[in-house]
Amino acid sequence: MENRGLQALESGVIQKDLCTSCGACLSLCPYLQSWRGRLVKLDNCDLTEGRCFANCPRTRVNLEAIHQEVFGQKYLDIEIGLFKQVKMARASSPDLRKKGQTSGVVSALMEFALKEKVIHGAVLTHRTPDHLPRGRVIRRPDEILSCAGSSYVAGPTLQALNQGPWDDTDRIGVVGTPCQVLAMRKMGVSPLKKTNLADRVTLIIGLFCTWALTYEPFMKYLKTRVNGASIRKLDITPPPERHLKVITADDHTWDVPIDEIRPFIRTTCGICLDMTSELSDLSVGTVEGVQEWNTVITRSDLGEEILNRAEAAGILETQPLPEENFKHLKEASLLKKRRAILTLKQRGELEDGYIVLSHELIGQILSEAKEAES
Amino acid sequence: MSVLSKDSPGKKTLFMGNEAIARGAIEAGVRVCAAYPGNPSSEIIGSLSQVAEELGLYVEWSVNEKVALEVATAASFAGLRGLTAMKQNGLNVASDFLFNLNLSGTKGGLVVVVCDDPSALSSTNEEDSRLYAKMCDLPLLEPATVQEANEMTRWAFGLSEEMGVPCLIRSVTRLSHARGNAELGRLPKNLPIPHFDTSRPIVPQPVMVTHKALHDKMKKCQDRFEESAFNLYRGPEKPELLVVTCGPGWMYVLEALANLGVEDRAGIVKLGTTWPLPKSFLAQHLKKANRVLFVEEVDPFLENNIKEFCAERAAELGAKTFLGKASEDLPNVGEINPDIVTRAIQKVLRVSYEPRSSQYAQEAAEAASLFAPARELGFCAGCPHRATYWSLKNALAMDGRDGIVLGDIGCYTLGVRPAGFEQVKTCHAMGSGAGLANGFGQFERFGLDQPVLTVCGDSTFYHAAIPALVNARYNRSNFLMLILDNSATAMTGFQPHPGTGRTAMGPEAPVVDIEALCKSLGTKLQVKNPFDVQDTMDAIYQLLQDREGVKVLILRQECALVRAKRQKALYKILVDQERCIGQACGCNRRCTRIFKCPGLAWDPATGKARIDEAICTGCGVCADICPQSAILKETV
Repeated sequence: MENRGLQALESGVIQKDLCTSCGACLSLCPYLQSWRGRLVKLDNCDLTEGRCFANCPRTRVNLEAIHQEVFGQKYLDIEIGLFKQVKMARASSPDLRKKGQTSGVVSALMEFALKEKVIHGAVLTHRTPDHLPRGRVIRRPDEILSCAGSSYVAGPTLQALNQGPWDDTDRIGVVGTPCQVLAMRKMGVSPLKKTNLADRVTLIIGLFCTWALTYEPFMKYLKTRVNGASIRKLDITPPPERHLKVITADDHTWDVPIDEIRPFIRTTCGICLDMTSELSDLSVGTVEGVQEWNTVITRSDLGEEILNRAEAAGILETQPLPEENFKHLKEASLLKKRRAILTLKQRGELEDGYIVLSHELIGQILSEAKEAES
Repeated sequence: MSVLSKDSPGKKTLFMGNEAIARGAIEAGVRVCAAYPGNPSSEIIGSLSQVAEELGLYVEWSVNEKVALEVATAASFAGLRGLTAMKQNGLNVASDFLFNLNLSGTKGGLVVVVCDDPSALSSTNEEDSRLYAKMCDLPLLEPATVQEANEMTRWAFGLSEEMGVPCLIRSVTRLSHARGNAELGRLPKNLPIPHFDTSRPIVPQPVMVTHKALHDKMKKCQDRFEESAFNLYRGPEKPELLVVTCGPGWMYVLEALANLGVEDRAGIVKLGTTWPLPKSFLAQHLKKANRVLFVEEVDPFLENNIKEFCAERAAELGAKTFLGKASEDLPNVGEINPDIVTRAIQKVLRVSYEPRSSQYAQEAAEAASLFAPARELGFCAGCPHRATYWSLKNALAMDGRDGIVLGDIGCYTLGVRPAGFEQVKTCHAMGSGAGLANGFGQFERFGLDQPVLTVCGDSTFYHAAIPALVNARYNRSNFLMLILDNSATAMTGFQPHPGTGRTAMGPEAPVVDIEALCKSLGTKLQVKNPFDVQDTMDAIYQLLQDREGVKVLILRQECALVRAKRQKALYKILVDQERCIGQACGCNRRCTRIFKCPGLAWDPATGKARIDEAICTGCGVCADICPQSAILKETV
């Protein structure tokens, strides 16, 4: 697939407000930087081909090619992507459950992978005291919890992947949102693969994601919403409640209706087809109506193996996902695809734009999602 | 010994045009000379300052042209002879005073030399200062040669004294900066002692009376000009074409007629006294031909005024065909030259002559492109302005609100161009960046969400930005003023200014402290070293987040050229050829493609960067911008 440079990235992605702030283009050159959640271009670069363009999840993506590369299969399952198993899981340790975002599953799995030397280092997302997400390289299992939790704000996690430092033999694990997972998979099929770390990224845990917020305006709004109090934790309660719970330093909880924060959703989330991180080894997300448990989707052999080993080691507890929840998950995922395809059509970017799906598949997604909606 | 102070009357001496003007003033007994530097006028006061002590003159670099004119006028009011020199923009600054001085009148001879810059070779504008003479009703002289520059200046003082008004002399770049011979006159003796007669106030009032008196003075002036040897006619008694010219146009016309071999077909009216018009002299020669071509620099000054005169005297002078800028026989913008004049005369007289191939310019450009690399206007190696704009660029990108940078006059005007990463968005008159910022800084109330910045050099700050800063503080305008203090009036040739601790005459002078001045105004103030690019960028970014009132950031680092004269390089800079990974680096030649200090070179043979040691001044900034840390600085 044709690769291009920063100028094309600027006109095709940055200026169209399609940057996901995943960080895949950062720390590769001096010209792109992330500043308070924003991608900043400092200077022009006239290289006709660059890793910035190749890695970007919002430049042309050939999902078929990536599926062949990652799973050795065609892109077929249009609901939640290819999967082996879907379960509910939670960390066995009550401590992890308390400190993690929902159930501690992600922290537990990463800790396990590091301890078992499946990976030597993990790229996770930690948050500065003012809730600005940043990538962090973790090498010791006991450091994992420094990256637990979410702020629902997009952040350049993959900058830490690019930056390292890594030893030549390091196997790397990454936890990321669907766009970040996509960026890493693009590295795997990139014409500049020799100069990226794709072959070293061994384990990818993908997070469910419906959208992410733009840091600066969102935090500015939130700050006024909680009367300037210091914000400790953010959490979104699953449907039917759908509130942003803002816990301030004085342990006060503020319920902010989701509709209030919708204006801060990134434009680019509107064209995202992926709710469940379909290209990960293992995807983790909430379970509607069930507290303290996560949905876990195993997709690759490695993903399945890790989950099974962690469960056997008593790190995790699993349960079958109730059929009704599984149905809801598929519907929600399909709806996101449908909305994204319609938005892409509206923006005139479906054919020429970033995603390459067959017409049949697009038609199928639209009709099935419609059925699900009705 | 300077040629300006040589006491050898009659000796032919090689002068730069501006030196000839200075020498003319000395021979006329000038005692007080003041100016603000501005190309192409700067050498007049510059050369006078070198002989000031020897000849017992008072010479100063003033803070701006209005003050300079006032200082020179004080000499006139005290019965001494005074001179001021400026570029065309300078006269705009000084004009408020001039438009009162014409009415109040003067005593001792007062000469105002204005050097225009056709084609704006070193200016922000193209302007014909002669129109001021008409507007102010003041006598105007235009020397055509270096000899005339000397003679006319000498004569102008006497004329000023006789008429009781300042006399304007208009030069242009090709005279001011050309060199030619002039015959030395006598050096003056027994100069008067200054005294102001307090029983006779000098004021423009009562205006109806003084205005009428001024018109009478101009009539008297005209009478004197009728007889002036600076006006002459050369050519046949019945020419087919009459060329009216002044200034360097005279030499161009002589050359054109000789080259075309039409000296017997065209006559030349060469005017040295161009306002008020010597009407009888003109009438006598305008009768000679029906076709009149005007050759003059910048605006059709003689062309329009003589047309008007011909209309007044149509019955006597007959119908004429006027050729010049209006008829587009000569260009109405840009500098003229012998080729342009030759083509115009050739066309009118239908002579076949090819002074130069019409494709010459294009062919020359093509030929040059084969051998000479395309070269942008740039900052010198180690220039602190480059570092400043680097930090400014990055701070604005990080800020992300599309900040507006309002520019001003100085080397840093190059901020408009790639040398300054195209950060500067306006550039007009001295101090106008700060003035515009005052306005923009009020527009948040209307929804302007872009931060407002202005850049201003130290000399420009003293010249015209201080009132704007006072206004900003008073009216609570919200902007960031970056004072790029390189401790030099670098662009015009390193003349001293109130911050340098020296004066035109040399001795130590008190430093007018910009910091203390800003503090006294109550502005928020920080001082940074622009060579520390990270610190500077952080400071700019932080100050931009402050949305209240005017903020001043002084970026202080001496001009690289001044520093190089005084001390050795701060660092020895080298590129570690192992660490520089050249084309393999994701930076795509950040050092030589973006930062572009001339001290850095890209070696196509090795595909790596290297230092041009001959011009590197060792500022060390490039070491901070290399993403591979391949540029090393070693303390010398």
